[in-house]
Amino acid sequence: MSTRANIEELNERNKKMELGGGQKAIDSQHQKGKLTARERIEKLLDPGSFTELDKFVVHRCVNFDMAGKEAPGEGVVTGYGTVDGRLVYVFAQDFTVLGGSLGEMHAQKICKVQELAMKVGAPIIGMNDSGGARIQEAVDSLRGFGDIFYRNVMASGVIPQISVILGPCAGGAVYSPALTDFVFMVKNTSRMFITGPQVIKAVTGEEVTEEELGGAMTHNRTSGVAHFAAEDEEDCMNQIRMLLSYLPANNLEEAPFVETGDNAERMDMDLNEIIPDNPNAPYDMIDVVKKVADNGEFFQTMKYYAANMLTGFIRLDGRTVGIIANQPKVLAGCLDINASDKAARFIRFCDAFNISIVTFVDVPGYMPGTNQEFGGIIRHGAKILYAYSEATVPKLTVITRKSYGGAYIGMCSRHLGADQVFAWPTAEIAVMGAEGAANIIFRKEINSAENPAEKRNELIEDYRKRFATPYYAAERGYVDQVIQPEETRPRLANALEMLSTKRETRPAKKHGNIPL
Amino acid sequence: MKKFQITVNGKAYEVEVEELGGSSAPAPRAAVAAPVAAPAPKVAVAPAAASAPKAAVPVSAGSEAITAPMPGKIMSIKVSVGQAITEGDLVLTLEAMKMENEIFAGASGTVKEIRVSQGAAVNPGDVLVVIG
Repeated sequence: MSTRANIEELNERNKKMELGGGQKAIDSQHQKGKLTARERIEKLLDPGSFTELDKFVVHRCVNFDMAGKEAPGEGVVTGYGTVDGRLVYVFAQDFTVLGGSLGEMHAQKICKVQELAMKVGAPIIGMNDSGGARIQEAVDSLRGFGDIFYRNVMASGVIPQISVILGPCAGGAVYSPALTDFVFMVKNTSRMFITGPQVIKAVTGEEVTEEELGGAMTHNRTSGVAHFAAEDEEDCMNQIRMLLSYLPANNLEEAPFVETGDNAERMDMDLNEIIPDNPNAPYDMIDVVKKVADNGEFFQTMKYYAANMLTGFIRLDGRTVGIIANQPKVLAGCLDINASDKAARFIRFCDAFNISIVTFVDVPGYMPGTNQEFGGIIRHGAKILYAYSEATVPKLTVITRKSYGGAYIGMCSRHLGADQVFAWPTAEIAVMGAEGAANIIFRKEINSAENPAEKRNELIEDYRKRFATPYYAAERGYVDQVIQPEETRPRLANALEMLSTKRETRPAKKHGNIPL
Repeated sequence: MKKFQITVNGKAYEVEVEELGGSSAPAPRAAVAAPVAAPAPKVAVAPAAASAPKAAVPVSAGSEAITAPMPGKIMSIKVSVGQAITEGDLVLTLEAMKMENEIFAGASGTVKEIRVSQGAAVNPGDVLVVIG
């Protein structure tokens, strides 16, 4: 064969692989409102930055009808490229090739980029759109899943791992996303479940649609499996790029510094007005976070799940900061099982990737009730204590209003290792609310008084003046600074700068045993 | 008189059943009853008992129920039956955990039913307002 023919052959082979399952399958993918694997990668990465790996890998299965069956690219496109000029690894399952089903060689391609990403120290983004295990390959296919899970765990806390669900992701396949740091879903096209509606109907008789069972909003709102919901695939890719902009490439790097043009010394007078005069009236904690953040930008994670607890990223003086905040507007800002889970996992992500944590506190306590107790609020609530205590990144706390009892301790108090605790003059730091406390402490005095109701109110007021303030905690040094709300941003920026070289070590151990 | 053991939610009950209005049960009929009764308890009785609390407050298809997110007391009701509301409108305030929690509509529609009154104590999951 002549050299020219050899060159031509490569061109032909490339063309064939790039067409995946063929034009017909591509059209059908488009009709479902979905992009192809290659189009998705193009939308996510900087234009022209993608380098494909393992384009010519084929399966070696001869079972059933598989012998001689062509599967261009093995149903998955893998490689690397850049997002905002920063290196990332990607794999995208190709639904047009055997329904994106996962076999031995398909899995091997994914494992290869996982290993490269870990060696090099760059984030990996996995796009899932697959019918599941390739049944013809039997246990070879299961082995493929297992190999991917194992590498997900090895990479956990080393590089950011992002999963994107862009079609079906069912059965064992759901566990790779579940092991990664962030899961994105698209409304109406993404599906995640262990067993689908047909199996559920056959076994339990329960009827449920795919969207209800495992759609984007189910996992964003109800199950907490997903962290982000997108309107369509383009919106999804934009959200991923936004998330990446806040993250370092690996656990040894600092998060990227971004010149935001927002002065760190900027005060915000509106913060002085934000706490209502009525201590029982709610307000929106998102407003507080936005007024403190650079350019008012707060990128929330798990926005729809456990909305009584806010988590997400902001920039403060150009640095990425992880925000944990109680939301008095939802469920009174109580700590419950879901809020604890949400906060603890986010704290651990921030700690693993050197992102400082700022906690805003307005919490009346843990949520009472049998469903919370039966659900194990004790062990789930313990996760927050564990995660905060374990974290060695700079930890700042701002107590805006209520901070009572166990929830005071849990929301990154000095006692769990907060480096700086700030309190607004509106802060109430005590074991419990004034009414409850006065009823217990002064029971005898109230009962023996001539006018118990009057005496009671008087004693409640006494208690409130003495204890439901930031000053008792400040006298002990548990609160470092009582600050005017307007100064919150400059004080936090200043403290983060002061703590930028913080070093804190933990006893050597294999790993701790976080209550799960 | 026949004796059955029935299990409801894992708890075993001994139940005596007497057939009324006929002559004393002849032997063949009892023989028929026994095999029917044996599989019945787990299949028929348990699910009925389990779904009973829900059945007490049915919400007809196409309607959206606003339920109490946590235990508390109804402070004020901001809507009235027949009123048209849109998603996100304030429906009522619920005092819980010393906070006046604002409860918003989860869907747009008309207020079909208000199941609570001011001052009422509610538990999580209780239906407060039905929107249709």
